[in-house]
Amino acid sequence: MLVITRKIGERVCIGDDITVEVLDIVGSTVRIGIEAPASVPIFRHEIWVEIQAENRAAAEAGADDLPSSDTPSSS
Amino acid sequence: MQIESTRFGTLDVRDETVITFPDGLIGLPGKRYALVAQSERTPFYWLHSADHADVAVPVTMPWLFFSDYEVRVPDEDAAQLMLSDPGSAEIFCVVRAAQNLEDFTINLAGPVIVNGDARLGRQIINDAGGYAVRQPLFSEVELNEVRAGSARSSVPATATS
Repeated sequence: MLVITRKIGERVCIGDDITVEVLDIVGSTVRIGIEAPASVPIFRHEIWVEIQAENRAAAEAGADDLPSSDTPSSS
Repeated sequence: MQIESTRFGTLDVRDETVITFPDGLIGLPGKRYALVAQSERTPFYWLHSADHADVAVPVTMPWLFFSDYEVRVPDEDAAQLMLSDPGSAEIFCVVRAAQNLEDFTINLAGPVIVNGDARLGRQIINDAGGYAVRQPLFSEVELNEVRAGSARSSVPATATS
């Protein structure tokens, strides 16, 4: 991992077309602005990790695990 | 085409029901999935990988359970999906099954958006905030209906595959 110190208003470039700017720092909270091509997905890491875990958990389901009107599986 | 499935054996799916997810489903392998209806009388489908026999997730149409659910598709996601009219998108949410119905959850924070015309799909992070990754799926009323054996009879079960 590369660790860089930046001040408010300073930027980091990642490759040719991604720029990250430190917009504001209040206490322990940093606001960052990201300029990147629309094709680059950008997420808050924690929501991404949660959805990843959720998809993997959902994929554990077996063919008989879903309820239908014919066979309620509430028992 | 035929899809080999560890859950269902060999599935015959029409080629046009295969959806390409250029970025996959988050955390799952493969880029081609088919929407498979397990039976006619269920609100659930499977998004089944066309490339991995053991990879499939249950999905449903969120509005069947949450009539006021909102999805806001970020512009860049709409562009990836080549969606000129967001109203034409088909929207599904991943369901996590459980032993007991009251423990079923639905992921309202990460809906799966499908452009049916282009057969393109993408799992997005819903820009309409405040939705949970693990929202309990069934309300108390619905649980009682299921227990009474009359569940989902009012739900249209048209297969899109």
